[in-house]
Amino acid sequence: MNAVERTEVKQPRTNASPWAIARRKFLKNKLAMTSSAFLLIVIILSFLAPYITTVDISRVNVGYSGLPPSSENWLGTDTSGRDVFTRLLYGGRVSLTVGMSVTAIVIFIGTLIGSVAGYFGGFVDSVLMRFTDFILNFPFLIFVIVLNAILFNKVSGVWVLIATISVLSWGGIARIVRSKILAEKENEYILAAQSIGTPASKIIVKHLLPNVLSVIIVQATLTFAGMIIAEAGLSFLGFGVPQEVPSWGNMLSSANKSDVLQNKPWIWMPPATIITITILSINFIGEGLKDAFNPRSFK
Amino acid sequence: MLKYSLRRILGMIPMLILISIVVFTLAKLMPGDALSGEIDPTNTNPEYIENMREKLGYNDPYYKQYIRWITDFAQGDFGKSVRYKTKVSSIIAEKLPNTIFLGVASLVITYILAFIMGIYAGRKPYTLGDHAIGGFNYFGLAIPSFVAGVFAIYLFSFKLGWFPSNGSVDIMVQEGTLEYWLSRIHHVILPALVLGMLSTASYTQFLRNDIIENSRKDFVRTAKAKGTSQSKIYNVHILRNSIIPLVTFLGFDIVSIIGGAVITETIFTYPGIGQLFLTSVQARDYSVLMAITMMFSCLVLVGNLVADILYGIVDPRIRLE
Repeated sequence: MNAVERTEVKQPRTNASPWAIARRKFLKNKLAMTSSAFLLIVIILSFLAPYITTVDISRVNVGYSGLPPSSENWLGTDTSGRDVFTRLLYGGRVSLTVGMSVTAIVIFIGTLIGSVAGYFGGFVDSVLMRFTDFILNFPFLIFVIVLNAILFNKVSGVWVLIATISVLSWGGIARIVRSKILAEKENEYILAAQSIGTPASKIIVKHLLPNVLSVIIVQATLTFAGMIIAEAGLSFLGFGVPQEVPSWGNMLSSANKSDVLQNKPWIWMPPATIITITILSINFIGEGLKDAFNPRSFK
Repeated sequence: MLKYSLRRILGMIPMLILISIVVFTLAKLMPGDALSGEIDPTNTNPEYIENMREKLGYNDPYYKQYIRWITDFAQGDFGKSVRYKTKVSSIIAEKLPNTIFLGVASLVITYILAFIMGIYAGRKPYTLGDHAIGGFNYFGLAIPSFVAGVFAIYLFSFKLGWFPSNGSVDIMVQEGTLEYWLSRIHHVILPALVLGMLSTASYTQFLRNDIIENSRKDFVRTAKAKGTSQSKIYNVHILRNSIIPLVTFLGFDIVSIIGGAVITETIFTYPGIGQLFLTSVQARDYSVLMAITMMFSCLVLVGNLVADILYGIVDPRIRLE
């Protein structure tokens, strides 16, 4: 019994499933693994922020404004006397929530429209794709800001921002999913499923989507990075999450004041650095996933 | 080719109409008088507002208002700015040259940097220099322009003092002199670098990969067998083939410069259209806002069209689709 087991271990695992191969390749990718670990730490720290620090983030203390880093305030305090480190943790919570929610919505809409257009083809396809083209032709930043100006004083908040960004950003995903579905549906197993009367919704969900899932996962990673940038950029310009809610972009917007930018780098450098490193690591994870799912790459 | 281009241009027209309808709807949703800017927002007398609305035709059915607005817009009449008390078209005309200057400068810098780095990395792949350029590219693609802009001002303007941190030209210099132009170039370098960073990284990456791929092709082997010098193979035979696909990026550059201009011009307080756009939101100068929105939407459409047509020129297979 023992001997049999040992020989099995020694054999090259040629019959591993594509997912197992991808997982092994990804685990071997040092850069992607380091990035994943870093991202995980950032996510955990951000979402556990209320348990990690007990400092009240909304407390404005003018007496403590603009203090350089010290043992009491690890990263100093901002112009309103709030602790930068605490705000960085809470800011991560908002920025990552926005990034994840938008990514989830965008992937959902994009996959839905892309797979329906790709599977049914013909008239449905042309209508949906013209609509996608239409969405893609909007200058994103401009329209979010205009919508923001319209909604000014009526509704505001993180969820409005998430909705606005999502509505304008699903076009690219829809196009990619459509092109993948178009290629995938030519396979015989789809014809077989159709011939035994499988309903279209079941063919798409059970047969087609699992085969384009790897592409969707890679796109989701890249979208996540893009959406963190979008949130931070909009908040930096003052059109993102409301000013009183800490987010990385809101914190960075203090660099718009020339005094802060020039003389108090501890206020704007932490959010700038954390944004950059987070985006970098998400991109590395995306590259690693792309590589892991690519059957032609051997590492 | 002509047929393909014409088809693309014709296909753009319904999109243009749809987008103009969206912009019109948004303008109608805006508080106050976003289309013409004729009604004085400080005057809250209901009788005055009602008179003005009647005079400007705001009580007409929407389709009539739309047609009037779009005809005026096509003729270059964008209404009046509430903030500046003058025509929107003349404000835009004043700021537009600055943005065009910034965009062109950023393209020039992008092309120069990307060519130097891409050609070097493509010629010597997997060496230290290639890895360094690859690392730079990763940063270029990952760092958002507003973070890069803030860091650039802090480092190059405040710490090193190499470049000015705001404005488009020194106030002291006389317009039209050589000094004036030098000062403008001096002011534009830093924002242009930041604006072009993303495209620089993607151009470099593309050029490098394309050169490596081309260097394995048969025509390179033939050239080598005939004894052509290495530099001639790379600078003439390969580069010519690798530059062609790069051309298609130009359309997307137009699109990305439009979005980037808003952020970059704000960080560097550079007086262009992007900054005008943001200050108009803050000042609730909605007629300027909508005029710029419509203009940018048209430009994005033109950018995508240019990309499409260039694709058709480069790859004849696309034309047949």
